[in-house]
Amino acid sequence: MAEEIKKPKRPVDPNSAKYKLGQIAAGAYADAAEAKARGEMVGWCSSNFPVEIPETLGLYVVYPENQAAGIAARGYGQEMCETAESDGYSNDICAYARISLAYAKVKKCEGQDMPQPDFLLCCNNICNCMIKWYENLSRELNIPLIMIDIPFNPDYEVSDAETLYVKEQFFDAIKQLEKITGKKWSENRFRQVMEYSGRTSRAWLKAAGCAHYSPSPFNGFDLLNHMAVMVTARGKKEAAEAMELLCKEYEENHEKGESTFRGEEKYRIMFEGIACWPWLRVTSTGLKSRGINMVTTIYADAFGFIYDDFDGMCRAYASVPNAINLEKARDKRVALAKEIGVDGLLVHTNRSCKLWSGFMYEMSRQIGEACDIPVVSFDGDQADPRNFSEAQYDTRVQGLTEIMESRKAAR
Amino acid sequence: MNKKELFEKFHEIATHPETLMKRYIDEGKPVVLVAPVYTPEEIIHSMGCVPMGAWGADIQLNEAKRYFPAFICSIVQSILELGMKGVYKGASALVVPSLCDSLKCLGENWKYGVKDIPFIPMTYPQNRKPGYGHAFTKAGYERLISDLEKAAGKTFDDGALGESIRVYNDHNQAMRDFATIASKHPEVSASERSDVFKSATFMEKSEHTKLVRELIAYITEEEPAKSGTRILISGILADSPALNDIIDELGFTIAADDVAAQSRQYTVDAPDKAGNESNLDALVNKFCNMDNCSVLYDPDKKRVNMITNKAAFAEAQGVVVILTKFCDPEEFDYPLIKKACDERGLPCVLIEVDRQMENMEQARTMLQALKEMI
Repeated sequence: MAEEIKKPKRPVDPNSAKYKLGQIAAGAYADAAEAKARGEMVGWCSSNFPVEIPETLGLYVVYPENQAAGIAARGYGQEMCETAESDGYSNDICAYARISLAYAKVKKCEGQDMPQPDFLLCCNNICNCMIKWYENLSRELNIPLIMIDIPFNPDYEVSDAETLYVKEQFFDAIKQLEKITGKKWSENRFRQVMEYSGRTSRAWLKAAGCAHYSPSPFNGFDLLNHMAVMVTARGKKEAAEAMELLCKEYEENHEKGESTFRGEEKYRIMFEGIACWPWLRVTSTGLKSRGINMVTTIYADAFGFIYDDFDGMCRAYASVPNAINLEKARDKRVALAKEIGVDGLLVHTNRSCKLWSGFMYEMSRQIGEACDIPVVSFDGDQADPRNFSEAQYDTRVQGLTEIMESRKAAR
Repeated sequence: MNKKELFEKFHEIATHPETLMKRYIDEGKPVVLVAPVYTPEEIIHSMGCVPMGAWGADIQLNEAKRYFPAFICSIVQSILELGMKGVYKGASALVVPSLCDSLKCLGENWKYGVKDIPFIPMTYPQNRKPGYGHAFTKAGYERLISDLEKAAGKTFDDGALGESIRVYNDHNQAMRDFATIASKHPEVSASERSDVFKSATFMEKSEHTKLVRELIAYITEEEPAKSGTRILISGILADSPALNDIIDELGFTIAADDVAAQSRQYTVDAPDKAGNESNLDALVNKFCNMDNCSVLYDPDKKRVNMITNKAAFAEAQGVVVILTKFCDPEEFDYPLIKKACDERGLPCVLIEVDRQMENMEQARTMLQALKEMI
C-alpha cells in the first residue's frame, strides 16, 4: 500500500507561534549541518535523553526519532524500512530504528537529511529497543556511544536507589562528553538551561491545557507537530518564547471563539500512542470529517519537565510515559482526560512500539472505566506505512463516533 | 538409573513440570516462578523456596490475547496464558526481570490477569560495570528479598545464600561439562540435549546436578559416535520437539550453543566474596560480570565475536540462529551475527520460530540448505 498523497500547505504567518516553532525545529537540523561543515562534532541523540546535558555543553545534536517521523510523514518510510530489511533487519523491529539504521548506511533521504554523527547519546527511558538500535549505530559507524540507563520503574514513585543510579550516570555522561568533545560543563549555564527548560515546559503544559475550553481553541494534531520542539529544543530561550506565544494565541482563540480545529467540535477525544506519521492526513481527516477533535494525548503531560534541581531532573527523566508502571501511567491519563473533558479514547496499537502497546489493552480498559468513556483501538505503525489499514481505521472511528453519539443523545 | 532411564527422567521433567511443582508444594517447599532471564535464583533458593523456570509453553494463545497485542513474543504471551489458565496455581510468586520491553509488559499485565500469584519485579541496571551499577543491582536484590519475604513467608540469611551460591555454581559447572561432553558425543541427540537443559530450569539445582553428573559419567564411558554436521545454535529457546527432531533427522550435531534457555545462563558463576563483602555482594558481582547476551547492554557487540569464536572452538561448520519471533533484542543482533559469520566463511541460517508453530517444514528447508552449503 502506498503512502498518502499530500495536499499543498497553506502559507503560515511568520509572526505566529506555529511558524516560529517550525523554524526552531527546522533550525536544529540547519545549525547542526553548519556546525558539521565548520568541523565541529555533531551527535545523534535519543528523544528522551536529558537535553539539558548537550545544551549546557553547547553541543550540536540531532534526533533520529524526529528525523524518522519526518521521513515517514513525507512518504519515504517504506523505502528506508526496506533498505534496513535488505541488511537482515526484521520487519518486526521498530520502524524508527529501521529508518535510522538505513539512513546511517545510505546517508541520504529526501524526506529529511541530517549530518552524520561523531558520537551517540542514548537513553532507554522510553524503551530497551533504543539500546539495541544505538549499539548497532555505534558499531556500524565506529563512534562512541554514551548510554544513560533509566530502567522501567515497576513502582509508583521513583526510589532513592534509582535517583542515585541515574544521577551518577548523568555525571558520568558529562565527563565522557567533556572528554570526547573538549567542551566544558558550566553550572551557570546549566541553571540557565534548566530555567529555559522549565519555562518551555510550563508554557507547553498551559498551552495543551487550553483544550479544557469547550470548544478547544486548537486541533489536537497541533500538539503532535509542536512536540518536535519539546523534544529537541526545550532548553533554548527561543523555544520558551515560542511556546509562551503559542499559549497566548490559544487563550486569544478562546476569547475570540476561534480554533485551529476547522469545523464544529461535536466530540472531544483523547488519542493514545505515537501518531501514524505516514498516514497523518488520513487519520486526521477521519476524525475531522466526523466533527471529532483529538483534544489531548499523554504528550500534553509527558513533556512537562518541571524540576528544581539535579535530583529533580533525574526523577523527571525516570517518570516519562514509557518508564512508569500501569497504575501511574493510567492515573496520569485519567487526570488528563477528566481535566480536559473527553467523550472517548482512541488507541493506536502501534506495531513499532512493544512497550507502549504491550499493556495498553488493560490500561485503556481501566481508563475507559474510570472516565466512563468508550475506548476503541486501531492497528497502525508510527513510520512503516504497510502496517496500517485505512478501512479498519475508518470502521473503528465510525464505531467510536456512534457510541459517543448515542451517549450524547441519552444525556 | 542407566543412561536411557536418565534421559527418560529428564524428558519427563521437561515435558511435565507440573508434576514436579506439585511434589515440591506437597513437600512444603514454596515454588517461585522465574521468568527469563537472569533471575537471581540463588536468593530464592537460599530462602527455602524452589525457583522454577517460567519460559512459557508450546500452546495456543486465547486468554493472553485480552492483554497482549499479537506482536509480543510468544514466550511472554504463553507465560501469561498459563497463569490465566491456572497451570501455575499454588506458586507463591512470579519474578520477572525487566531486561526487555516485552518482559516489562508481562509484569504489568500479570498483576491484573493472574491476581492470585503476586508479581515481583527484578529491575536490573544496564550500566552494570561501574560502582553505581553494582549498587543499583544490590538495591534490586534487596527489594526482591523484601517482596519474597512477604509472598512466601520466608526470611533471608546471607550465610544460607553462600550455600545456595555453591549449589548454583556447581550446577553451572555441571551444565557446562554436559554441553562439552554432548558436543564430543554425537550420539546425544538434539532432543535429549534439549531435555537436559529444559529440565534444569524446573528442577531444584542440587537434584539436577546429581542427575547430570550421573549422565556425564555414562556418556564419558562410551566411544563417541561418528560426528554429524557440526552446528552452533543461537537464540532464546531451542526446545521445540519438532525442530529438534528435524536437526536429528538431518544428521546435525550440536557442537555448541548460545541459547538463553541453555548454555547462556550457565556461563558466569558468582565469584568468591572478597574482603568485607557479603554473599549478596558476590551475587551482585555475578550479574555485573555478565556479558554476551542480547538483553545486556553491549556497546562493543562482544556477543557477535563470541559466537564466531565459540563456533570455531567447538569446530562448528555452521551457525543456526533460532530466532523467537518478535524478540527484538535478538532481531537487532542477527544482521551483525550474519555479517561476522560471512566474514569468517561460516555458513549462517536464520530460522524463525514461535510457540504456536505447528509446521516446521520451512525450518527443514533452511537446515537442508545449510547442510548443502557446508
